[in-house]
Amino acid sequence: GRGGFRGGKQVVVEPHRHNGVFVARGKEDALVTLNMVPGDAVYGEKRISVEEGEKKIEYRAWNPFRSKLAAAILGGVDKIHMGPGKKVLYLGAASGTTVSHVSDIVGPDGLVYAVEFSHRSGRDLINVAKKRTNIIPIIEDARHPHKYRMLVGMVDVIFADVAQPDQARIVAINAHHFLKNGGHVVISVKANCVDSTAAPEAVFAGEVNKLKAEKIKPQEQLTLEPYERDHAVVVGQYRPPGKN
Amino acid sequence: MAQSIFVLYEHASGYGLFRVKEFEEVGMLQPEVEAGVTDLSKFKTVVNLTAFSPFKSGTNALDNMNSISEGVLHDDLRLFIETNVPKSSKKQKVILGVGDSKIGASITEEMKVSCQHTGIVPEIIRGIRVHFHNLVKGLTEISASKAQLGLGHSYSRAKVKFNVNRVDNMII
Repeated sequence: GRGGFRGGKQVVVEPHRHNGVFVARGKEDALVTLNMVPGDAVYGEKRISVEEGEKKIEYRAWNPFRSKLAAAILGGVDKIHMGPGKKVLYLGAASGTTVSHVSDIVGPDGLVYAVEFSHRSGRDLINVAKKRTNIIPIIEDARHPHKYRMLVGMVDVIFADVAQPDQARIVAINAHHFLKNGGHVVISVKANCVDSTAAPEAVFAGEVNKLKAEKIKPQEQLTLEPYERDHAVVVGQYRPPGKN
Repeated sequence: MAQSIFVLYEHASGYGLFRVKEFEEVGMLQPEVEAGVTDLSKFKTVVNLTAFSPFKSGTNALDNMNSISEGVLHDDLRLFIETNVPKSSKKQKVILGVGDSKIGASITEEMKVSCQHTGIVPEIIRGIRVHFHNLVKGLTEISASKAQLGLGHSYSRAKVKFNVNRVDNMII
């Protein structure tokens, strides 16, 4: 039956510390984003309608067990560097579930360039992008940004969830092409994917060092416990301003 | 021998050609271009648009994008370079800055224009990417991203639909 959030008036939605993200306070608190396409669920997630006077606004629940970005937010990441009007290059977009939430966050004035190599998930991604006009789907290998250079403008932030052993390099070459000076990278690192024999902490430290070598200054790092095992999110700034 | 540098910029809406101010030494160019990446007025003192040729239609844009991403010289691009890039002479050597080595190699091989994709060129292209919609008349930030959106969909749809090199259908 219809359980959960469909409580209607008992649920109160408050803005989260991160601009564009919200918290629904009902029986249980949930992370939500403002649905850009009201009435439409992207992957069967729960929706919450809130009446504000005459207007009805709809939010979509964002599950931290399914999205590393949501896990990072609930884990207390200081800044996600995405907000209304921002331009995001999203590497490893998969079927577009987290991408749809990022699209909610940046809103109609923002843009999400969503890169995914796998054709199978790419089909789903294209379908998500059909309804959300701030998503530009790019089915191409993120290792070769020059192949999609015609499609991407300068962005404020790169989010990467590519789970590849050379992901630091992948992020760096994309940053050299598309990330503005002083822009940020938010990278989800899965220790196993980089080196399955080393200790996760050592892998994270290694990735941070690789970023440093590419003009990306690390700013924070947090693990995604309890939502993901041996995962960390690393946030850094590209070509930070100041001392030249 | 004097050198003049032109830079080719491929955008979803069309091809742009930019002329880079002449410098005695490339070393002097670097800091100015880097400052220009954030400041439009500074950038305009170093880099100027000389030509822009919009794609005729969505299909035409997709055609060109497919060539660019494979590093192949499309007829439209050949025509664009032929019309707008001056020939090298004994006094003046013309260098064309491009986005990657493959397209550079194709252009050099087929048109005898010397190309460069390293050094100062990537930095200039970064700057053009920031300011492109301000440098081309009639283009706004919104119309530029609309062009990307349309081309992104058609490029990606074509990729997913048909690709002989990739079969990732699940066998159930």
